[in-house]
Amino acid sequence: MSAKSDLELMEHADGELDDADVAARIERDPEARAKVDAVKQIGELVRGHLELSADAVHDARFAAMWRRVDDQLVAPATGLWSRISGWIDRYRGHVITGAVSAGAVAALALVLRPSAPDIGVRTRGGGPIQVREVALRATPEIDSLDTPGGSSTVINLDDEDGHTTVIWVTPEDTVEGI
Amino acid sequence: MTGRRWLAVAAGVLSIAIAGVRPAAAGPNDARGEVTASCEFFEISAKTGDKPAIDGELKRVEKKLKKPPFSTWNQFKLLSHSQKSLAKKKAEVIGLKIGSATATLVEIVDKSKVRLTIAIDDDKGKQVATNTTTVDAGDFMIYVHPLANNEGHLLSWTCN
Repeated sequence: MSAKSDLELMEHADGELDDADVAARIERDPEARAKVDAVKQIGELVRGHLELSADAVHDARFAAMWRRVDDQLVAPATGLWSRISGWIDRYRGHVITGAVSAGAVAALALVLRPSAPDIGVRTRGGGPIQVREVALRATPEIDSLDTPGGSSTVINLDDEDGHTTVIWVTPEDTVEGI
Repeated sequence: MTGRRWLAVAAGVLSIAIAGVRPAAAGPNDARGEVTASCEFFEISAKTGDKPAIDGELKRVEKKLKKPPFSTWNQFKLLSHSQKSLAKKKAEVIGLKIGSATATLVEIVDKSKVRLTIAIDDDKGKQVATNTTTVDAGDFMIYVHPLANNEGHLLSWTCN
């Protein structure tokens, strides 16, 4: 049999040649039929092997992916600190954004807040009452004065240090001190 | 920006805003902003001697003691000195060597004056004087009580 005839038989076996003469020849020639059957079997073997190889490739890839996943998996956090740090790790972006925003607002609040609490209102660790310049101070004003058992004299003294008001109490019986 | 990120920003802004606004909103009578005045009290004994002598601790009132009406005496000795932080409308006992005294901050006026009530008793518990005066911070009040032996008992105070 010529090489051309074998090629036609192979093409027929692969379904690439649909020729009535070739089909008739396979019907009447047992040798040709055997060749076609052999070609078909070889083709199935090759396809089967390729499919198996393809499956093997997928499995290898999946295995590699699972290994990577396993490597990256961490034991679940159990302690409080581990949970907190885990939460911070997960939401690091949110935490940083919040902290930066809070810092910006704090800076704004410091800049824009009222300058100081009322002088004379001493909060914890606050400042003293405002001591004005001597020239701006008023003479002390006596709202009430009671000296039972004695008389009193009020004297106002002024100097460069400010005002001094003296209340001189003279007891009727000048025997006792204060 | 995600919803959670917005939430974090809002929480930060809110907390800072609360922290920043709260002190400004606290008024003079707020529980956190107690009204107080820091006052000093000098108890002085005065007498006449051969040589003038004024305790070094009385430097702040020395100039005043050299002038009338205090020039009746020429020797001044500090008997006690106390510094008190007076809370509004809370009587504070002033420890004296002779007698006793209490001081009460009535109020702070115009941010620069104190209205104080001083009550002084002698060593027998007899009331000598009760006085309420409004004084500028830095100015002095001096109570004088002459004694029988030509000595004097003085109580001076100033606030700031």
